[in-house]
Amino acid sequence: MRLKSELPPELKYQAVVTEAAAREAGLDFFDVVFEVLDASDVNGVAAYGGFPVRYPSWRFGMEYERLEKGREWGLSKIYELVINNDPTYAYLVRSNSLLEQKLVMAHVYGHADFFRHNVWFAPTNRKMLDTMGEHAVRIRRYIDLLGQETVEEFLDIVLSLDTLVDPYLPLREHSHPAETRSVHTSASERARRALDALSLSTVPEEPPPEPSLGSRADLPTYDVLGFLSEFAPLDGWQRDILEIVRAEAYYFAPQRMTKIMNEGWASFWHSRLLTGGILDDSEILDFADCHSGATSCPPGQLNPYKIGLELYRYAEATGEDLFQLRRVHNDVSLTHKLVDESFAERVLRPILAPAGQGQEEEPDWRELKAATLRNISWGGLPQIELQAVDLEGEGELTLVHHHDGRDLKVGAAQATLLQIERIWKRPVRLRTTLDERDSWILVRDGAGSVVDIQGSDEAGGASDENLRNTA
Amino acid sequence: MFRIESDRARFREIVRGRVRRDLKKYLSSGELIGRAGNRVVSIPLPQIELPRFRFGQNPSGKGGAGEGGGEGQGNGEGSAGEGLGSAGEEPGRHILEVEVELEELAEMLGEELELPNIEPRGSKEIEGDGGRYSGIRRHGPDSLRHFRRSYRNALRRTIASGLWDPEAPRVVPERDDFRFRMRKTSPKPDASAVVFHMMDVSGSMGREQKEIVRIKAFWIDTWLRSQYKNLEVVYIVHDAAARTVDQETFFHLRESGGTKISSAFELCLSMIQGKYRPEDWNIYPFHYSDGDNWSARDTELCISMLRDEILPRVNQFCYGQVKSAHGSGQFKKDLDAALGEEEALVTAGINDREGIPDAIRAFLGRGR
Repeated sequence: MRLKSELPPELKYQAVVTEAAAREAGLDFFDVVFEVLDASDVNGVAAYGGFPVRYPSWRFGMEYERLEKGREWGLSKIYELVINNDPTYAYLVRSNSLLEQKLVMAHVYGHADFFRHNVWFAPTNRKMLDTMGEHAVRIRRYIDLLGQETVEEFLDIVLSLDTLVDPYLPLREHSHPAETRSVHTSASERARRALDALSLSTVPEEPPPEPSLGSRADLPTYDVLGFLSEFAPLDGWQRDILEIVRAEAYYFAPQRMTKIMNEGWASFWHSRLLTGGILDDSEILDFADCHSGATSCPPGQLNPYKIGLELYRYAEATGEDLFQLRRVHNDVSLTHKLVDESFAERVLRPILAPAGQGQEEEPDWRELKAATLRNISWGGLPQIELQAVDLEGEGELTLVHHHDGRDLKVGAAQATLLQIERIWKRPVRLRTTLDERDSWILVRDGAGSVVDIQGSDEAGGASDENLRNTA
Repeated sequence: MFRIESDRARFREIVRGRVRRDLKKYLSSGELIGRAGNRVVSIPLPQIELPRFRFGQNPSGKGGAGEGGGEGQGNGEGSAGEGLGSAGEEPGRHILEVEVELEELAEMLGEELELPNIEPRGSKEIEGDGGRYSGIRRHGPDSLRHFRRSYRNALRRTIASGLWDPEAPRVVPERDDFRFRMRKTSPKPDASAVVFHMMDVSGSMGREQKEIVRIKAFWIDTWLRSQYKNLEVVYIVHDAAARTVDQETFFHLRESGGTKISSAFELCLSMIQGKYRPEDWNIYPFHYSDGDNWSARDTELCISMLRDEILPRVNQFCYGQVKSAHGSGQFKKDLDAALGEEEALVTAGINDREGIPDAIRAFLGRGR
């Protein structure tokens, strides 16, 4: 697949018209490049997270298989994809109707504006298209040198952990560069060294350095990947792969934090632009059909398109500065700021507590808001923090799950901790709450166990001992 | 080519590896049977996802409205502002199902149990797909024009008619000169096979016994289907009398009453003499029971029928004796004693599900 294909004339015309309307409305974006692809190629790109090239991984193949199956069976369909990049790339599906293409284009300009101006995207790499390509080349070279199985095995371990990043870290570093933890040597420099070391030497690797932390470790931290990259006993190529996965994780992190805002913004603008002059009368019904499909919200599902759209419309009605909102907020802060009783009753109640479900007690609007916030906080993922390293003992890692009422899935958590142990090569433990009881999930020598520490003084005492915080 | 295809290939390779690893488990459970379609079987693989920290479902979750939230988080990391999805785009937490071609499953089975390929002895010749453009004819489409032949004809005619001028060697072909390639089909022997599954459904064959038969029949069919292009399966049930039934009935029928095995053999034999003649078909009768027969006289009859009529006509006759609480297991002993020398007869005892792979190996391990 090649980028830079020529748009068919009618789409090209449409792109020009839509871009002009978007700029007129006050949207501002990097250049937007549209590509037209067949539906299955769009699925391929979607499986790659929106990029035409990624490193080889069966995981992408699995996602592709899922998307393709959905398409073949007519269960799901991807209308469009946008990449946060400069220029901003967007893909159109060849088989879509002209109306759908118009809608998608307007939608894309909304995303493009959001990517450029939302503050959480400020630290993201705007040349990610190229960077993804470089990452792919590096990992392919490791595969050539070390074999697919070896590289894949390590990659799978690291991918298991790719949500263990601190979504607030990039912006912190971005706005206060002085505080930045020195990123040792630059990533590319280290990549070069790792590759050199591989290709030049067949001499036995130096023994992996002991995890000596001294006082350098900056704990506690949510950036578990960063910590491991810096302190885990890894070979050069392993560290490089870990850095690649971490860089990509940080690139994607803001998208998790702003799903509602981003989709809401794009939906708000496609609706406004299309009904504000781009469509002619004969197209309005089809547009309404398509739009309502995208923003439909069955009970129990917080559709980000719907929630976001409603939030912006509500904000507009109450006289807020929309452009300011889209600049400074993320999903949590925007929801926190805008949702009041009237919004919660009108929008959230039908979704979260639909009438006629026989609930004994109708939740208060505050509970509805709290439930929504809980759902979107930390990108919808469990909040896991690396708290301490046992410096005097075995070098055991202690992580903490900040429990918000939802328990972890124990088996999955244990399996994930095992992955950390395989990198850290020392025991790992996680403190969490299971069935309302304070518990440890422990992993040691490739085996996991769960310990209930509430009410057991002995275990509790021991754990305090181990919770040596080096921060 | 688009790179995602190689990732997909790798994914499928991993899946096949998993299936292969778990094949023993599948061999003794009925899990796959309900999932087999005409050509593919879809296998649930919950364990292929990468482990991650994720929320479980705890009933103690605080905040009444909480559970309403669901997992509407969509594609998570991967989605670069993807969307405008129609409803149903949410991937959710479905167990992944992968499709494996039955042929591939058979191949794995063959490797796992070290089954030899079967030498078809069928003689039924039908026109196969095999064909090449090796013929020549006078008419045809331009795309198949044979240039050299056409030119040679034109040249020959030119010289013969005295129009040939070495100074100006011009050859103008006429309609009659043209020759065209022609597809010649070569008949290829195509082996057909028929499987008779005969089962005793008298009162003593319980649910578990039938399940064992079912699982075995599934794998046997899967294997034979990979060996023969055209496989027909006939299901026969019997108690004191025998009749043919469809697959569904075969496995779910519960009869009671006596057992007269010869009734099934008779029906099978009449079909062999009628529709499935040995000249045209590879024949595989399988009989399953718990080993009880109505009378020693009937067993005598069965043995003589096998020896004189059935065994000479079939590739292999297999008797699988499933152990049941009431069954005596006498029939297998009688068969072994009387016909133990016969090459075309295989008998196997199956105590429980664990014994299924061994029985399959016994039945199919001879490559007949």
